[in-house]
This record gives sequence, structure tokens and C-alpha cells, in this order.
Amino acid sequence: MYDMLAALINGTLGWGWPEWALNLLSYILVVTIVLVVAPLQMLFFTYYERRVIARMQDRVGPNRVGPEGIWQPIADGVKMFTKEDIVPQAADRIVHFLAPCVVVAPTVLMFAVVPWGPGMVPVDLPTGLLFFFAISSISAVGLMMAGWASNNKFSLLGAMRAVAQMVSYEIPAVLSLIAIVIVVGSLSINDIIAYQTGLIVSNRDLPGIPDLGLGWFVFTPVGFVAFIAFFIAALAEGERTPFDIPEADSEIVAGYMTEYSGMKFGLFYLAQYVLNFLLCAITAIIFFGGWQGPGVGWLYAQGITPENPNGNGLFNVLAGVLGVFYFLLKTYLFFFVMVWLRGALPRLRIDQLMDFGWKFLIPLTLANLFSAALWVAFTRWGPAEGMLITVGWSPVLRWLAAFVVTLAINLGVYLWLTRVYAASQAERRRAELEELIAAGS
Amino acid sequence: MTASPFEIEIPRGRVIEVQRDDTRVRRGTGLLRGMAVIWKHWKESFKLNRSYSQIHGTFTIEYPEERPRIPEAYRNMPILLYDDETGHELCTSCFQCERICPPQVIHMTQAKDPATGKPVPAVAEFIIEYDACMSCGFCAEVCPFDAIKMDHEFELSTDDHLRLTVHKEQLLRPISYYAHIAPTMWAEVREGALKKLQGNIRRRPDVIGLAPQLTEKIAARRAELAAQAAQAAQAAAATPAPPAAPAAAAPAPAEGRKLTPEEKAAKLAAIRAANAAKKQQSGDGS
Repeated sequence: MYDMLAALINGTLGWGWPEWALNLLSYILVVTIVLVVAPLQMLFFTYYERRVIARMQDRVGPNRVGPEGIWQPIADGVKMFTKEDIVPQAADRIVHFLAPCVVVAPTVLMFAVVPWGPGMVPVDLPTGLLFFFAISSISAVGLMMAGWASNNKFSLLGAMRAVAQMVSYEIPAVLSLIAIVIVVGSLSINDIIAYQTGLIVSNRDLPGIPDLGLGWFVFTPVGFVAFIAFFIAALAEGERTPFDIPEADSEIVAGYMTEYSGMKFGLFYLAQYVLNFLLCAITAIIFFGGWQGPGVGWLYAQGITPENPNGNGLFNVLAGVLGVFYFLLKTYLFFFVMVWLRGALPRLRIDQLMDFGWKFLIPLTLANLFSAALWVAFTRWGPAEGMLITVGWSPVLRWLAAFVVTLAINLGVYLWLTRVYAASQAERRRAELEELIAAGS
Repeated sequence: MTASPFEIEIPRGRVIEVQRDDTRVRRGTGLLRGMAVIWKHWKESFKLNRSYSQIHGTFTIEYPEERPRIPEAYRNMPILLYDDETGHELCTSCFQCERICPPQVIHMTQAKDPATGKPVPAVAEFIIEYDACMSCGFCAEVCPFDAIKMDHEFELSTDDHLRLTVHKEQLLRPISYYAHIAPTMWAEVREGALKKLQGNIRRRPDVIGLAPQLTEKIAARRAELAAQAAQAAQAAAATPAPPAAPAAAAPAPAEGRKLTPEEKAAKLAAIRAANAAKKQQSGDGS
């Protein structure tokens, strides 16, 4: 944004503004765009989810307000705004008021590092990925505040479940991302996207592959397992079915949102859907190349870039439009999968959730971490790092060896873990029965 | 692997473990199978399903635009029928419906011949309180003249409460309307109803029994009656003998009626005697 404004104001118009003014203006513009885009995504997602889940349940879904019901979220928003704001008498008023803010703020902050297209990232932090997940865990504090301040048993139960779930599923989420970080060698989200050029195979691993922007991590054994583990963990972090235990409406009313009404409830809702959007977006970015896709790289290379200052500005716009299109397409596709899972699966019990997170996902992602290290060793290390087997191998052979080895390890670990996990579940059932028998005799 | 059901006694009762055979390792394929089911539902939901023999497809009838075909025997609120051709109401105000109505929302007054003051088989005013009607359909079932029937109209919501106290003008529908919404049900009773109606029309003097909104029919009937009266006057001027005939005919039913009051008097006397005897008994007892 700064480059664009500098080119426009000081270059084309020749006003000669100082640097700080340009910086200020560019940040204000970016923040405005982000703050407008975030709620719009949430509005669209509520409509999108309701229509899709309705179709999955052989219904039609909201189609009354506007063409095909597209203004339904606006109508819902108006309803939320006009509702009475009720604070329970026994509630801690200040914390009760602050909780929705604490939940919403981090979700909006997370937009700061999300790249929408080539060169379209609000802030390109060198530690973007870390920032993203560090900020996302702040909302757990807000949830606990909401549950505690409401002074309601359902709220407190919901909040404790939410925090327990978020804390335990952050571990597999981050472990699966670390595997990708090891392969890329950077925490910058832009670097991760830049790595995924090529065709099925990233051309950073295997130079000479034609660049169609399809060298996504999901096509490698390491990336695939990381993707599955991360997506499951993302479902739990976003409190999506089958992990919507914190707000299990059939058990604890609405969890931590029980005592909220009107726009405060609306803010929780907003935070949840914005978080879901961001989780889908980050899944698309890290495992499916974000804005990478056929044509974007070539278009962007023709435009004005730091490497090519004499390019044509039109190509920047084209590359941006195409990139945003690919990015949103992938993101909406993942949200579709989230809704699909919601249609297909019932809610887990809290102990099943914990079992699955700690006994299955974490070992799987740890093994995947080892695979990622081997991947780096096979594709990049030489005798200097102590990797003597691959001396003299061609890049294709190195890549093939890495693929086969990591595939064997990941598949083996998966098969072994499923067997162990099933056995442990059977054992637990047997133990429960034995307890019953002991109580009976 | 199927084990026999496991059964134990615990202090609170009996526990039976059902072997669900879910101990085998599925490795995530169960999840995929479930998702495949939902995918099929999603894919097929873009087709309409009107046969109700399939589980896929959208069943929804989008009400204000699309309307379901209402079954013939559907019943909502009672209406009154009148004959299309003659304009005569089928109702004879026999009070059967008023008597059977469980929430007692049917009210009517019988029409009287203005000349003689005697009741006529027609209804003067008929009121149904739709707001309290429970749509049981007893009135339509009990009606011996098939004059009251159940309507298919169900969009009755209004902000005007008084509008739900419905008077005869609003209750009346032509027979052709009912024959349209319930063809087979009307065909079953058509002949008898029309025959009874013809009998009743003959006993209705003046314009009594004509649906009040059919002003043309009423005007025509008035003109006809005036013409008849004029003719009769002419005939009377010509021959004064005919009035003797009705006068002679009149005493016959009157005599027939005379028997009843006598019986009544006898009955009354018997009851009075019985009561007096009872009183005496109770007086002796005390």
C-alpha cells in the first residue's frame, strides 16, 4: 500500500509528501479495508453456512430477504442491534462488558498478516505465522472472562470447556505448522506462499519444474498429514461441529454466550465466524498456496515489483484480482468442508475430544515433524551437514527419496497410531465395565 | 467377532452391554462414509422431490408462491351453502348445529313469515364466531340438509377481532364453490340435498331464504311475486269463490294440531299430581 501511495502521490501527482504522512495514510487505509472486510466476511459466512447446511438437510434455507436471501445477514444484524442488552444482576459488570471486546479484538488483529494476493499483505511480518497463532490464543482469555463474569453455571462450564479445548488443540495445530516451517525455513507467511510455486512439486525442492503456482504442500506426504491434523485442530479452535462442545446447545444452553444478548452476543458470533474465516484462510495459505494458482505468478512478474520497477501497473491489478479470486475460492471451499463436517458428524464428548487431541493428533504431528526434518535432509543437506547418502544424487532422485521415505514414515505411523488408538479406546470401555462389575458385586 | 450380550446387576439396577462391534480399526473410513452420505444429500438437493418415495431432493413447498393441494376432506372453518340457480340457502335453521357445537359459537334465528308470524324453514340470521371455533366439523356432520360445510380457506389472520364474528352474508358460498373444492364429497350428498332444498323452497313465502347478497335474484323474485299478486288480484276480482278453498283447507292442520295440546294438558295434570304426591310424602317424612 505504501509503495502504491508513494508512486501515486509523489510520483504521478508530484505533491512531494513526507514519508511519515504517506505511512500514516497507507496504514489508515489498510486498517479501514481490514475492518470493513472482516465483518463482511462474517456476514457472508453466516448466510453461506445456513444455505449449505440447509441443502445438506434437504431444505432450502433462508431465501426470503433479497434475491435468494442474500440480505438475510443484514436483517439478522438489524435484529441484533435492536435487541435489549441484558446484564444479569449477579454478573461482574465490567468484565461482562469487556469480554466480547477481548474476544473480537484478536480476531481482527489476525487479519494484519493475512496475504490476499501477490503483494497484498497488510503487514509482512518476518514472524507472521507466530503472530497469527499467538494472537489467536488471546481470545481464550476473553472466553474465560465471559464465562466467569456471567456468574452462571452454564457459562462457566462452557468457558472452561472452551479454554481446555483451545489449549489442547493449539498444540497439534502448531506442531503441524512447525513441520511446514521446517521445510520452508521461515515464519513469514509470504515466504511460505512463495515456496509453493511449481506444478504438484514445489520448484524450490526441484528446480526446473514449470511454475503454475501449484506446488502446494498438500501434495507432499509431510504437508498432507500436517494439513489433516491442522484442519482437525482448526475445527476445534473455531468451535465447529464436531468440536462445538463449549456451546453445546443441547447440554449447556449456549456455553459462555448464555448470559449475553443483543449486540454483545452479536460480537461473540462475529468473532467466531471471523475466526472460522481466518482458520480456513490460513489452511488455504499454508497448505494450498494461498493466492498461488495458474497465471498469478506470471501476471505478477509483468507488473511493478521491487525486482521489476519498469513493469506495467495493469498487470499488478490483474494479478491481484486473480490472486484474491484463488485465495477466496480456496477459503470458501474449506468453509464448505467445515459445514459438510457439521452436516455429517455428531458432537464429541469432552473426554473423546481430549483423547483424540492428546493421544492421536499430537503423536501424529510429532512423527510428521520428524518426516519434515528428513525431507529437508534429503532435499537440501549435503556432506557439510553430515548427509553422506545423497552425495552425487541428482535433485530428482533426492526429491523422490524424500517423498518415499516421508510417505513410508507417515503412513506407517498413521496405521500404527490408529491401531493403538482403537485398542486404547476398547481398553477404556473394558475398564469402565469392570468398574461397573466391581460396583455390582 | 460377536460376543453374547453382557449382563450384570448393580445396586441401581441391571446393566446390559450391547456389542456394537465398533472395536475394529476403521482408520477414518467411517468418517468418510458419513461424509459421502451428506454429499449425496447436498448434490441431490438441487432437484425437487415431489414423490415422497425418495429420501433425496428438496421437499420444501415455498408457501406463499407455491401452494400445496389441499385434500378434499380438509376442514377449517364452517361455511353455509346456497343454490346457484335459485339463490336459495340450504339452511332451514333446524338448530342441530347450534346444539352440537362444542364451543357454542353458532348462533341463529329462524325466519318468520311476516304475514302470519309463523316459523319458516329458512334462517334469518346466522352467526359463527370464527375466533372460538375449534374446526371440529361436527356442525357439517350433523346438518341434515347439507347446508353447513367445512371450508378450505385457512388464511384468516386479521388485526380486526370483530371481523372474526362472521355473519350470514360472509358465510354464504354457492354450491358450485363447494363442489369445486370437494367434488366427490359433494357428489355423494348432492341429490338428497337438492331434493330437500326443493321441498323447503315451496314452504318459503316472499323472498325469505334467498341469499341476501344476491340482490338481482331477490329483485327478480319480488317482481315475480308482484306479478303473481297482481294476477291473483285480477283473478279474485273476476271470481270471488277461490278464497273459500284455502279457508276450508286451513282447519284440517289446525284440527290435527288440536290433539297435541290436549295430550299436553293431560301430561301436565299427571305430572302435577305426581309432584303433589311427592310433596305430601316428603311432608309426612318430616
